[in-house]
Amino acid sequence: MTILQTTLDSPQSQVRVSRRTLLRSSAAVVLGGIALPSARGVAVGQSAPVMSSGPQPKGKVIDCHAHLNHHSRLTWEADDRKLIEAADKLGIDQLCCSTLTPHWPATLDGFRECNQWTADGIRRFPGRVLGYCYVNPGYGREALEEIRRYIGDYGFIGIKLYNEYTCIEPVVFPIVELAIELGVPILHHASHSHYFVEDQPRLTDGGHLAELARRYPQAMLICAHISGGGDWEWTIKALRHATNVSLDTSGSGTDQGSVDMAAAVVGVDRLVFGCDSSMTAGVGKICGADLSAQNKEKVMGGNMMRLLGRRKA
Amino acid sequence: MMIDVNAYLGHFAFRRLRHNTAASLLALMDSKKIDKAVVSSAGAITYRNPQAGNEELAEETKAHRDRLIPFAVINPFYAGWQDDLKICQEDFGITGLRLYPKWHNYSLSSPCCREMIAAATERSMVISIPIRVEDNRQRSWLLNIPDIPLEEIVELVKDHPKTRFILLNGLAYTGSPLGRKDNGLPPNYAIELSRLSALLANEIGQLIANLGAERVMFGTGMPFNYPDPALLKLQVLETDEPDKEKIRGQNAAKWLRL
Repeated sequence: MTILQTTLDSPQSQVRVSRRTLLRSSAAVVLGGIALPSARGVAVGQSAPVMSSGPQPKGKVIDCHAHLNHHSRLTWEADDRKLIEAADKLGIDQLCCSTLTPHWPATLDGFRECNQWTADGIRRFPGRVLGYCYVNPGYGREALEEIRRYIGDYGFIGIKLYNEYTCIEPVVFPIVELAIELGVPILHHASHSHYFVEDQPRLTDGGHLAELARRYPQAMLICAHISGGGDWEWTIKALRHATNVSLDTSGSGTDQGSVDMAAAVVGVDRLVFGCDSSMTAGVGKICGADLSAQNKEKVMGGNMMRLLGRRKA
Repeated sequence: MMIDVNAYLGHFAFRRLRHNTAASLLALMDSKKIDKAVVSSAGAITYRNPQAGNEELAEETKAHRDRLIPFAVINPFYAGWQDDLKICQEDFGITGLRLYPKWHNYSLSSPCCREMIAAATERSMVISIPIRVEDNRQRSWLLNIPDIPLEEIVELVKDHPKTRFILLNGLAYTGSPLGRKDNGLPPNYAIELSRLSALLANEIGQLIANLGAERVMFGTGMPFNYPDPALLKLQVLETDEPDKEKIRGQNAAKWLRL
């Protein structure tokens, strides 16, 4: 919090605020379904004409898949600030963040300190960072206690699972049952390649998530980064009938048609916007998708708001 | 003027492409205010005989040469490439090439490739090289085509100082001599931005600082990619307007003699 306020008090922050206002209009352009304006003739600091050209966004823009930096990274603090600055520029109001361990499988101490750092991030960037509690399901009772603590006491909004276990392994089930009890979503790392991914032997894919969704129809599952490098057409088709799985549009891939196919196959109500640190890719592919303004609003934040609204007291 | 140096027409073997005809690509360009695009045949990436793709491309772009600038795909290990090169330039009016050394299974340092590059340079053709076609993690079960290692590009630009290269669909140049200041390499290559970051690590900003804005070019990868992420990079890039104009189209116009 203090860091943000310090930044906002600095002369540079005025430029940033003005730029943010400009780029909220970019989001407005996204939400308005209008073609992205040509950057021709628009210099930094000369943005007002663009800002005034589009409708203002009606709802929040929420990045459903973001990460704060692990503190072993020397530049973690500056890099966290850069993430918020990038969100400012792109008109992203809130980022749902987890902090991941640099090595997997995560140890108990490893994910515990990550969650402390995410809680610290929420304090440093009030109103901007929402927290996912990251656990390794293999720690059983300790993992469940961690989730209860961070969702109950620290206001985290969901659970982040990575690749320690495939999501259909029984060790994951108590986590899913707790998520249902608490009414929070699980963002699950996922990808599907047509070869064995040696460094992620327990990688979850859309088919696994569909199976988990059938077992737990009340669970709110989010399939991470459909544009994260795997065969997104396979993933989208695998999840067609898994109605309690939302698809996170994040990832570095910007394949033309990916968001459009996802909307056509699973329905726009099941798409949630994310970047996973690929910022312009994340926003740009929603800009480019052939969706109505109303549907873009749902993807950019409305659908995530709906998931977060199901949290139980 | 906005010029996209990284666009394609036709079909790709492993995924349906939209906006892949001249008419539909031009409509997309109009909607994004992109004035001109350098296009090559997506089909030629996997055709055994890439000249068939060049013929399709020449026909498809014939009526739109004011906006679509065709580049030919040549495989220097395929019979008759010298004839193809001649036909592409003299009959089709093509002014540049796209090379796929990994997809066509040859080395950039092989004698055949050197000979082809020398021949193209003699004809004042620009040579563009996609570092990748698509993310290898989504590859078909039929093949495994790696990205071109940047070390191979370093040797290439050193070996052909009089040739002009445009590097497409790459990133992490700043981790290679290609993107470093005072790298001792000839300034005979430009870097296209579709996979570069404009925020967070901001590789585009680093390349402008290290190499100069004259060496960065706008490109989208459409219709493989949505063009919007690349447009957004230009919009959020923190550099002055003259630099942005160079990247947007001036550099490409100069290299392509438009």
